Amino acid sequence: MKFAHLADVHLGFQKQEPLQEMERRIFEGVVDRCIAEGVDFVLVCGDLFHVNIPDMRVQKIAMKKFRDMHDAGIPVYAVYGSHDFSPTSSSAIDLLEAAGYLNKVTVPSDDGDLIRLNYVQDKNTGARLAGFSGLKAGRDVEYYERLDREYLESADGFRIFLFHGAVGEMLQDEISGESLPLSYMPRGLDYYAGGHLHTFRNRSFSGYENVVYPGTLFAGQTADMEENARGRGRGFVMVDFGDRVERVRFVEAPGCRYEMVDVDADGLASEEAAARIRSMVDSIDPTGKVVILKAYGELGSGRTADIDFSAIRKGLLQGGAYHVMIHRRGLTSKEYKTRGESTGTREEIERRTFQDSIANVRIKRADLTGHRGVDLSTKLLATLRHPRPDNEKKADYERRVTADATSKMGLE
Amino acid sequence: MSVAGQVVGGGIGDILVRQQSGSRLEVGDLLVSEEENSILILEVFGLQYGSQIDGRVQEMMSGVILEEGPPDAEFYEPNFVNYVMARVKALARVNRDLSVNLPKSLPAFFGKLRIISSEDLKFLQGGGRDRIFIGYIRSGSKVIRDAKVWLDARDIFTHHLLIPATTGRGKSNLVKCILYHLLDSSGVGALVLDAHNEYYGLNGEVGLSSHPDARNSLVYYTPTDPPPGSRHLTISLDTIRPDHFEGIVEFSDAQVRTMRKYYSDYRGEWISQIMLTDLSMLGEAESRRDAETRSITMAVLQQKIRQALDLEVDREQNVVVSRHNVFDSVRGGRTADEVVRNIEEGRVVVLDTSKLNDQAELVVGSIIATRILDHYREAKTRGVLRDKPVATIVIEEAPRVIGEEVLQSRTNNIYSTIAREGRKFKVGLTAVTQLSSVIPKAILANMNTKIILGNEMKMERMALIESASQDLSEDDRTIASLDRGEAIITSIFVPFALPIQIPHFEEMAQQRPPPASGTTRVKVF
Repeated sequence: MKFAHLADVHLGFQKQEPLQEMERRIFEGVVDRCIAEGVDFVLVCGDLFHVNIPDMRVQKIAMKKFRDMHDAGIPVYAVYGSHDFSPTSSSAIDLLEAAGYLNKVTVPSDDGDLIRLNYVQDKNTGARLAGFSGLKAGRDVEYYERLDREYLESADGFRIFLFHGAVGEMLQDEISGESLPLSYMPRGLDYYAGGHLHTFRNRSFSGYENVVYPGTLFAGQTADMEENARGRGRGFVMVDFGDRVERVRFVEAPGCRYEMVDVDADGLASEEAAARIRSMVDSIDPTGKVVILKAYGELGSGRTADIDFSAIRKGLLQGGAYHVMIHRRGLTSKEYKTRGESTGTREEIERRTFQDSIANVRIKRADLTGHRGVDLSTKLLATLRHPRPDNEKKADYERRVTADATSKMGLE
Repeated sequence: MSVAGQVVGGGIGDILVRQQSGSRLEVGDLLVSEEENSILILEVFGLQYGSQIDGRVQEMMSGVILEEGPPDAEFYEPNFVNYVMARVKALARVNRDLSVNLPKSLPAFFGKLRIISSEDLKFLQGGGRDRIFIGYIRSGSKVIRDAKVWLDARDIFTHHLLIPATTGRGKSNLVKCILYHLLDSSGVGALVLDAHNEYYGLNGEVGLSSHPDARNSLVYYTPTDPPPGSRHLTISLDTIRPDHFEGIVEFSDAQVRTMRKYYSDYRGEWISQIMLTDLSMLGEAESRRDAETRSITMAVLQQKIRQALDLEVDREQNVVVSRHNVFDSVRGGRTADEVVRNIEEGRVVVLDTSKLNDQAELVVGSIIATRILDHYREAKTRGVLRDKPVATIVIEEAPRVIGEEVLQSRTNNIYSTIAREGRKFKVGLTAVTQLSSVIPKAILANMNTKIILGNEMKMERMALIESASQDLSEDDRTIASLDRGEAIITSIFVPFALPIQIPHFEEMAQQRPPPASGTTRVKVF
């Protein structure tokens, strides 16, 4: 028996047409591979979509491929991720569930203060599945604190726990941010199917065998594209199992070819920087590739605007590049300098920014300063960041966002 | 006013007070002399008998009573004739506006003194976000429950804290109480190397995890079977640098050179490379003598690292493994960073080091303490140190790293560096020890707050008295007689040496409401 484990597909992340096309092709290719390999079931551990209600184009892509899996008799088990869930509105995940193409494995029953999760049993294999969705700003921690672990641990059979969140023990290169201790999970299950960390990793700990993140299929944040260009393999995980896990293997999903152009312009005059960029760009063969031009450093003189990036982009496209991405947030000039760090995920950068800013505020309220202040700010931002969906009235949107924000601030 | 005694003589630092009959003064009692616009607080440091009858006559009278045994022999008006004389010293003058000065004058001659009350100690009152409760003011053996001692956590932890005592005098209880209150403050982050795994509170015991805000403010790492919400203490071998061993493990120059060479060549894999080096393959192209020397150096180095970190080499898999699961060649790459981040966010991080040997425990602390100090130095350079919480490293049996012998025989270690210069960067040590006398005077004097618990060893008491922030020269016997839970705080941040009673941790923790979790329903999506 075998199952496929996917996470962080982030359908709808790409905004440019060529990359949207690549995103679609990779996703469809992975689903086709799962069907071709005859997997018994598929796990999707959050962030299937980049937002909870993606546009119709994205929904159509997902609907078609999930129907294919359904028609092939492959059940899909899922939890929400931090991106494709909203506490106040629906998610495209719900649509897939309503269509019968996907099963959510978070099935809680009321047991007083504890949260008891009931296993969902896969009819074909008998595997039992349970899990928690990942909520933004670590709000899912309360789920884990109240989880009736003993109930999950005492069940028989092959047991899988699905989750979406960064487990601290699994972090490696990430800039430290909020993370979940592994000890929150029920012990002794056969497989811990994770989502949220965008690179593949598979580790075991005492009491926790096979804690696995497949990583993203393509990209869910800008830094992923840079990693891809530096040679990071992306894909999903295929697991062979009987009574126990027999083999865990990472299956790379064919993506596109990349060319990374790193330009350190620190101390250069803007004309010198432009010349260096041109020279480096001229030295590559962009044909059929995604070219990522990353310029950084503080210009010694001149302005960043003196460098004609659009002409560079145009030249690369004319040279046959599949797509050109220009990252110049790290490029500043003495004449106009913005504060900010460009490394890490968006969540990490946001947290650091809040930490820096809160440190400059002089107030005595403990709940607004230190890590509590950062937590509150992060929660508020999570509420306020999403624009109004096309299908929601402005008044409803404002009411919803206001209610959510005041609730987070404890002002209800 | 209930009079306890009357000033009858003496001078600055040694005032003589006749005890009022019926009152029973104790060594350590706090007395008050009410003056025009202030009160003077005095402390009893000695008690002796006084009598209007000459000593020889007293002896003779005793002989008559003992030998002749008259049934109803007694002194005529005994309360006038025989009494107790107390030797007291002035501690502080508290002005009407609650400002406190060191007293430079004597109480009024023949002035009447009374036992202190909580009203007299209002200047101490008041908790706050960054203040920690240390204990109740104690007058002799009487505890004044209304007079609570709160200290500014940022001040005392920046300037290093020393907790000296012998076994059984309440060190662990005190450390728990202090850490418990730190959980309320985001102004101080702490790294606690818990060699006895006694602070967190496992298996239903009351511990720091009982704090209502433990979920947000406490982070607990343990090598095996972490309880829900806590983390595996696994540290990647990659994060260890040769300098983390400095002052902890003794290496020869040749061994140090080898370590540096491997670190330079292999970076994060240097320890694995040393441990996996096949001695027979060393120095193939060199002279036999050189090869032998290198082989011996490497063999001893392997042994020292193996012993220090409790490592084993799995020859079949060709990997280095840790006997206690703490060091790992694959996992734990972010642990040190996570710990540092939590401390920099004002949390208390407890590392269960009970399964580690001494050296491994100190190396773990060294990895993290070095990072903290580096971060804070950098923050100072960038001008943002002001925004960071104070960081303190809580270390037990402190002479292991700041003892005279260690510092003389080895190079400086990170702990002694912090003791000497951490203050400039808001990084402090909280050193717990039975042996203060082996800590160099320069370091001891730098520890600007000492919470002195009972100590029967004269040499230890003298080391503390000589390095105290207040004059404790008359308190030798007082320190010797401190009972379990009784302490004296001497600090540059208190107006005088404060006699305190430390609360019992479990009782204190149980008085707080339990964590809010579980009182409201959550919707699970």
